[in-house]
Formats: sequence, structure tokens, C-alpha cells
Amino acid sequence: MKNIVIGQYIPGKGLFYRMDPRTKIISVITLMIAIFLLGSIPQLLVAFSVCAVMMWVGNIPVKRVIRGMKPLIILLLFTFFFQIFFNKEGKLLLDEVMHVTVVSVLGIVLWTIIWRLLARIGKFKTVLLLAYIMGIFVLFRFLPFGYSFTTFRFAIYEKGIEMSIFVIIRLVIIISLSTVLTLTTKPTDLTQGLESLMRPLKIIGIRSEDFALIISISLRYIPTILDEAFKIMAAQASRGADFAEGKLKDKVKQVISLLVPMFIIAFKRSEDLADAMESRNFVPGKPRTRIHELRFGWTDIGVGVFTLAALALTIVLKVIG
Amino acid sequence: MAIHFQHVSYQYPSGSYQFYQAINDISLSIPSQGEMIAIVGQTGSGKSTLAQHMNALLFPSSGSVDIFGSTIRQKRDKKISYNHLRKHVGLVFQFPEYQLFEETVQKDIMFGPMNFKISAADAAELAQKAIVQVGLDETYLKRNPFNLSGGEKKRVSIAGILALDPDILVLDEPTSGLDPKGKSQMMELFTAIQKQTDKTIIIITHDMDLVYRYMDRVIVMHEGRLIRDESPDRLFHRKNLAELHLDYPETISVLAAIKAQFSLDIDIYQKDMDAALVELRRAVGK
Ligand SMILES: Nc1ncnc2c1ncn2[C@@H]1O[C@H](COP(=O)(O)OP(=O)(O)OP(=O)(O)O)[C@@H](O)[C@H]1O
Ligand SMILES: [Mg+2]
Repeated sequence: MKNIVIGQYIPGKGLFYRMDPRTKIISVITLMIAIFLLGSIPQLLVAFSVCAVMMWVGNIPVKRVIRGMKPLIILLLFTFFFQIFFNKEGKLLLDEVMHVTVVSVLGIVLWTIIWRLLARIGKFKTVLLLAYIMGIFVLFRFLPFGYSFTTFRFAIYEKGIEMSIFVIIRLVIIISLSTVLTLTTKPTDLTQGLESLMRPLKIIGIRSEDFALIISISLRYIPTILDEAFKIMAAQASRGADFAEGKLKDKVKQVISLLVPMFIIAFKRSEDLADAMESRNFVPGKPRTRIHELRFGWTDIGVGVFTLAALALTIVLKVIG
Repeated sequence: MAIHFQHVSYQYPSGSYQFYQAINDISLSIPSQGEMIAIVGQTGSGKSTLAQHMNALLFPSSGSVDIFGSTIRQKRDKKISYNHLRKHVGLVFQFPEYQLFEETVQKDIMFGPMNFKISAADAAELAQKAIVQVGLDETYLKRNPFNLSGGEKKRVSIAGILALDPDILVLDEPTSGLDPKGKSQMMELFTAIQKQTDKTIIIITHDMDLVYRYMDRVIVMHEGRLIRDESPDRLFHRKNLAELHLDYPETISVLAAIKAQFSLDIDIYQKDMDAALVELRRAVGK
């Protein structure tokens, strides 16, 4: 539970760890823009290979990047199927009549039960989900028996396939870029970088230091508060209010018995923190020195040049193409 | 045996894919009747973690715990209700802030009993009895639990479990944050409950005086392992307690110092100051 919140940072060495967070943030944003400028699958594939080489150079564990994509799999699937179903340009590749009949609906109910049972086992959830979705189409297509409620056409066009592949590759590249950023940058460095980058916004009255302080304190305290929540839940469970049990009626009381102490503790903690900061002479808005000053190095220059070159190239491609 | 630990280990998850071994291969039997048991050990030795296994708040990473006939293993079985075990084994937590939530002390004490389907009227009666037991008077029932002092909160949280009338009472540092008088009052209360009802009472504490004076059995934890399970008398007869980050009770260390200084022939193993004085008088021949 806790590791989700603390962030994805894993300590390590390598090219990306040596970089200044500011360069990393700007480069990732610039590269994302460049990716969006690309207009064809071959171009994206080239970009993808460049990304792969970058990760290899930077010693990024590919497993972790893939794991970072897991929560977004639903989004990926959704865009994929959306493109396939609704893009009706180009050559017609497949055109089938689907039958919604008594037998096919029964088949789907059965199929759903099988899917849920298999999903219980736990492994290969995504593959199962995919198989389940495919299975539904197969059943609609090949079980035209019994009373027929209705029929519909299922057509796939060339452009649909193309676009879905295009969008998926683009999403995968963008997710891996941002994963590289979060894997190699401590949350504290990330906020310090953002703060520094947003400093010019002072002109329009946004104080980036406050913003950064809020973020870093939240990051610091989310795990603590979660921990506290578990302790409260344990204390209430030992008075007979187990959150994993109980009927809906009891749940309301259980939630109150969790939230009230949580708020009290959170307020008390923030008071204590404010006192501790003030007694160490923290004054909001006053300039502060830092233990770790951000500094640009040779790596930053190299990566910066590479990023600008990539952007320039994509712009050229866009203009020519 | 009411509670029976068999090779229980527990690991807290810490960071991604790392674990912290809080208790390690603990085997232990606790009867439901007749014992005052102390659990001692240095800070972080796993005492609170051990206690939370006694009423199925934590599920062992390996090994098993039998609690009044229910066996607790690695995974929580969603089909089984563990809630009733909390009525058998009442656990008072180390920090009272973690449980107070109602607007009056009375309602807060009634929360436990009412979770176990005791009527509001009966629960109110239990609350009244419990608040007097822990040494506060009935005017406290109407007060807001958040405006109490630390020691008062502690007492209210103990009352909240006493009202459940559990078969075994487990208290995690019940005397920390209480004044000296409050400490001995609280211990007198627990011994009185134990005498009247013959229930087993388990107390986690750092106070060796209390252990020596009031307890029948002492369990010593060290770096997650159970290293001693014996009578306080035997424990304090040992020579190298400092290695276990433990100390001798005041009576023993004072009498030992006097004995060494004046080369008197005294029995240094006295459970309280009165007994120590009697022994001193005897030794100097008065
Ligand atoms: N929620 C938690 N997550 C991770 N580690 C924990 C958690 N709770 C306790 N620990 C670790 O487990 C070890 C044992 O903790 P435990 O609370 O059981 O010690 P204790 O003997 O009760 O100490 P104390 O005398 O200070 O109360 C400690 O080293 C602690 O850091
Ligand atoms: Mg503890």
C-alpha cells in the first residue's frame, strides 16, 4: 500500500540519475511534444527504438517501466478498441453479421462465469480480459441459434487498425518517458525542480515556493497518515468494529470511528509541524537556503542538445510531410 | 490453553518489496485463567506486534495462532468472522489517541459493548462501572474525550476495553504517562480484577518494579525473539540483564548497593520498599 504513494523512485546510478531535475522535466515535456508531432507509424517506431536505446544507456530496468504501465492498461485497451470500432476510413477488411440470440446470450453468460472463475486464480488478468472480450465477438458471430433478439454489423477498416496501432505506440512511448522521469528522480528533487522552473510565475502572483512546500509536505505525510489510519482501524477492530466484516448498517459507524481520530491526529500533527518549523525560524515567503543546490552538469548539456535536436527533427519532418 | 502460538513470525512490509522481521519464530502458551503475565523487552523488540496477534488483529506471516479454538494462519479467510475473538481477548493499545472518537466519554466506552450487540441501556451501565474502575468519577462520562489529559485519555481507553469484559485482558503499556500514584492504582486495579475473576491479564511494560511486584510470569523479547519465559524471581536472579536492555527493580539494586557498601548479610530480593525496610531492620539488628 505504502509503496504506491511514496512514488516510483528506485535508487540507482546511471545517466539519468546524474541529471538535474529541471533538465529532466523540460526534456521529458519537450520529447512528448516531439512525439505528438510525429505523424506515421514508421516514424513512431524509430522514436520507440530511440527510447529503448536511451533506457538501455541509462540502465533503466525495463520490468519496472512495464509495471508502470499496468494501471494504464484499461486506458490502452479502451483507445485500441475505440479506434478499431469507430474508425470507418480506408479499405474494408472484415465485415461480419453478429447475432444476439438466446443461445449466444446464454453462451456469453457462461463465458463471463468462466472468466470470473479464472480471474480468481489471479495470474494473467490482462490476457484473460483480452481473451474475454475476443470471446464475446466469437460467440456473437458463431452462435446464431435460437430466438434472435437483433443483429448488428461488425466491420473493421484498414484505417482503424492503423490508427489503433499508431495511438498505442504513441501512448506507450509517452508513458515510458514519464516513467523514466519518476523512476530516476526523488519526489523531493522533482518538487524542487518544479519550484525552480515555476519561479518566473511570481510576476503573475503565484509563489512557487509555497506550492513546492505544500507538495513536499504532502508527499512526506501521506505514508504517515496512512500508517495512522491502519493503527486506528486496528484499535477500533479490537473494540469489535472490524472493517473487513460487518453489515452495511455497521459500516457507517465504522467509517466515523476511523475519520474522527484521523482528522484529530492530522490537525494535531500539522500544529506540531508548524511549531517545529517556526521554532527553527521558518518564515513563510522569506528566502531560504538549501542543503542541495540544483546544478547543471555536462550530462544536462548533452541531454539538452539531444532533446532540442529531436524536437527540431520532428518539426522538419512535420513541415516536409 | 486459551491462546497458543506455534512458530509465529511476522514481517511488516517496508518499502517496495522489502520486509522488516518484527517477530521471529515465537512459540508460547497462555492459559485463560490465573496468570499475571508481563511482556518486557527493549524498544522495537516486537512486543506490540506480538500483542496484536493475540486477538487476530495481525495475521502471522508464518506459523499459526490458536485463539479460543479458532486457528489464525497466514491469510485472512474472508468467509470466517474474527470479530468475536476481540470479545474474548481485549487489547488496549499503547496510544489512546487512536481510538477515541465519540463526543462524550460515555459514548466512547459504550462503543465496544454495543458492537457486540449489547443494548444501549446495558452498555451505559457497563460504562459507568468501567469509568469508576479506572479511577475516574462519573462526572467524566459527560466530558469530551478530546479535552482530557494524556493520563485521563489512557484511563478512558482502558475503560473502553474493560467494559467488554473480555476473558483475557492484554494491555500495551497501560501505565505509561500516568503519575506514580496513578500507576500503582492502575496495577492494583488489574490485580483486583485478576483476584476476583481469575482472568489472565497480560501487561506490556518497561517498568521492572511493577513486573517484580505484581506479575507471576515474565516474557522477555529481544530483537523479535522470545528469549525468556519464566517467573520474575528467576529473571531477576540472573546476572546479565543489561545485555537484554533490561534493568533490575529498584528494591534489588538499592539493597544490592547497600549490601556491598556495608557488607551486610541481607536478602536483596524484596518485592517492595516496605519488605525491603523490614529486611534492612532485621539485618542491622533492630
Ligand atoms: N506499521 C509498521 N510498519 C513497519 N514496521 C513496523 C510497524 N510497526 C512496527 N514496526 C517495526 O517492527 C518492530 C517492532 O515493533 P513493535 O511496535 O512491536 O515494538 P515494541 O516492542 O512494541 O516497541 P515499544 O517498546 O517502543 O513499544 C520495530 O522495529 C518497528 O520499527
Ligand atoms: Mg509497543
